[in-house]
Amino acid sequence: MSPRLILLPEGREIPCSEGESLGEALTRAGIPISLYCGGRGACGKCLVEVASGPVPEIDGRERRILEFRGLPESTRLACRLRVRDDLSIRIPPSSLVPSMPILVAGKQRPFAFNPALKKIAFGLRTAGPPSAGEVISVLRSLWPELETGSAADLPCLPEAPLHPSGEHVFTAVVYDDRELLDFEAGDTSARIFGLAIDLGTTTLVVELVDLSSGRSLGTAAGLNGQASFGADVVSRISAAFGNPGRLEELRAAVIRSLNELVRDLLGRQEVAPSEVVDAVLAGNTAMNHMFLGVSVDGLAVAPFEGAYLDHPALAARETGLVMNPRGRVSLVPNIGSFVGGDITAGLIAGGLEELTGRRLFIDLGTNGEIALKNGERFAATSTAAGPAFEGMTLSCGMLALPGAVYKASAGRDGQLDVETVGGLPPKGICGTGLIDLLAEALAAGKVTTGGQVVDKSRRLPVAQGVSLTQQDVRELQLAAAAVKTGIRMILEDEGLTVADLDEILVAGAFGTSLNSENAMKIGLLPRLEAGKLTVIGNASLAGARAFLLSRSERRRGESLARRVRHVALAKGGDFQSKFIEALEFKEWT
Amino acid sequence: MDMTTTFQAMTQAVVDGDRDKAAGLARDVLARGGDPQEAIENGFIPGIQKVGVLWESGEYFLPELLASAEAMKAAMAVLRPALETGRAAALSLGKVVLGTIEGDIHDIGKNLVAALLSANGFEVVDLGADVKIERFISAAEESGAAIIGLSALLTTTMLGQRRLLEELKSRGIREKYKVLVGGAPVTRKWADDIGADGYGENALAAVQAAKALTGRR
Repeated sequence: MSPRLILLPEGREIPCSEGESLGEALTRAGIPISLYCGGRGACGKCLVEVASGPVPEIDGRERRILEFRGLPESTRLACRLRVRDDLSIRIPPSSLVPSMPILVAGKQRPFAFNPALKKIAFGLRTAGPPSAGEVISVLRSLWPELETGSAADLPCLPEAPLHPSGEHVFTAVVYDDRELLDFEAGDTSARIFGLAIDLGTTTLVVELVDLSSGRSLGTAAGLNGQASFGADVVSRISAAFGNPGRLEELRAAVIRSLNELVRDLLGRQEVAPSEVVDAVLAGNTAMNHMFLGVSVDGLAVAPFEGAYLDHPALAARETGLVMNPRGRVSLVPNIGSFVGGDITAGLIAGGLEELTGRRLFIDLGTNGEIALKNGERFAATSTAAGPAFEGMTLSCGMLALPGAVYKASAGRDGQLDVETVGGLPPKGICGTGLIDLLAEALAAGKVTTGGQVVDKSRRLPVAQGVSLTQQDVRELQLAAAAVKTGIRMILEDEGLTVADLDEILVAGAFGTSLNSENAMKIGLLPRLEAGKLTVIGNASLAGARAFLLSRSERRRGESLARRVRHVALAKGGDFQSKFIEALEFKEWT
Repeated sequence: MDMTTTFQAMTQAVVDGDRDKAAGLARDVLARGGDPQEAIENGFIPGIQKVGVLWESGEYFLPELLASAEAMKAAMAVLRPALETGRAAALSLGKVVLGTIEGDIHDIGKNLVAALLSANGFEVVDLGADVKIERFISAAEESGAAIIGLSALLTTTMLGQRRLLEELKSRGIREKYKVLVGGAPVTRKWADDIGADGYGENALAAVQAAKALTGRR
């Protein structure tokens, strides 16, 4: 007969079979007990309190952890406890896995917290300072499948002060539950951090994440220093084409920009670089190549093939990022030459794989990438939108930084009401502001559907010292037409129309401040029924964070990237006529 | 309709990009026994010139430009066969072999140049996109073209423009052709550096350059 297992305080009965581990029974019942070290009895994160019933037999590993923490025998490790008799238990909240919201804004999808980088603290009792061999043998007993490599590859053993328990305590840094990366003195297991990075052509965003709790500690955003080599991807590729010296300059430029953001974040949160052991970057294919200093020559000329789509994770010291040099750096895998890891990340963040039906995912950045989910099938393409959506290349353009006009609407008196980031006096216009301003100008008849600024000055005043020029309107016209044409052609390629779509998800560096109604009015996006358009913000960053926090999301992303069919728009014969037609600012379906 | 009004209507049809109207007016002229050359020179060509001015001022954009070029082309298709052989040849500004260079698949700009060249009276041999150097040369040799036009939209493929010039030199036929270069990354300086004969910053400038090269400005 199965023992009765009762979960307090609710009194809920958990089904289990005799001799089963408590961790397994709880997991099966849907209780998110933290099995951080995979049930090896190594991390001590699944502590439960035995409230009543005979205290089950304790094993060596459990004893080690309990002694180490000075805990009574009624506290046990769920992963090691075998249920043999009737038992009532309590689970402290600290032993439960936090539910990870995948996106800060938009739809949220929980996923399992199971980061690739883990820290496991352990102690050993030796007369003098322990030798590397002794430490490794203890670690091996905890984690038999750990690859420790040859003695020469082993990280140096730091000097560990004696713990009050009389043990020498170390913390092992483990990658992907199999590779030993480093040792630290003492118990540093609560100090483990990772970086999720949106490696944009124009904008870089870095998020610092606590890998012991899954909490986000803050973000920092700034310009990609490669901008001095050209505003868009093609000009960067051109700069590096056949020029290894220039490629190295590009690599150094983006690393410099990223490190500035990282230092800023770490300083604010009082986190040391050595405590940052994992970084995941989501960027387009060209950015991914340049970050690693890999030649982009293959991306420069037809047939446009990069050096790789999926690059293995590498040691942080090989990248130059400010973090623990023994930590790991991974790039979210690319889908094709012009549909990069940022889109893979976005699809993961948007939860596209689990969603049913027909859904379009659009990332409005310097490259306007479009992915279509049609039942079980995925197709993706990219269009050269240019940097207009990020506010660049406009006469008064700027990133969404303090002082940028990011919202505009016509007030009752017909005067333009503008909102700026931080409420500062208007300094310039960012992408979402541009869309609003154009929608208002169209409605007021100040710009024709052909994109002509009616006033003879060929200018649209916005605020003191800030205006839109005829050329700015043309830039937006080209960018919007590129995206519109991409949407039409990928739908056509799958034999669908806008009416067949269940949803359009719009991601982009502009966050959630895109006014979707205005985007439809100017014809950037097709007119959809209410509720079918979801603005999900920076999905690329959210996807990188999911990779950082969950090995299963990482694997899901890796297999998804291989499944998506890459559609080359330029090969479609009627791209030109569609593009020219799409230049008109008008609603479409 | 007196002739002035007819010419004005032709001009307007091109400015409006009204293809059917332009072709209709051309057919009317022929039906009434009018002079096709006069219609071209006094009616349609002023139209395409006006379009150029509107483009320069920012009033016209790609769709308007293309529509006008199409209207012009439609009128020319009606009128050209009606010209006496000698006069047709005299009116033709010459043959241009045109294409986007190898490794480059962008062709909207090149297509625009092709449309405007035809609208302005050039005979265009459009080789399409991703065209090998060898193909440019053989097409020029076969058609007896006066001008070879090369478009490149990437700084990487732009290098092919230099290669074509070198190839023409090495074959000893450099002087047979005027070479016209263009494309987003191409600059006047680049054109001068590689020794091209002409450069167009945009499609209309390319037409002006082609006219200058054939002494028909």
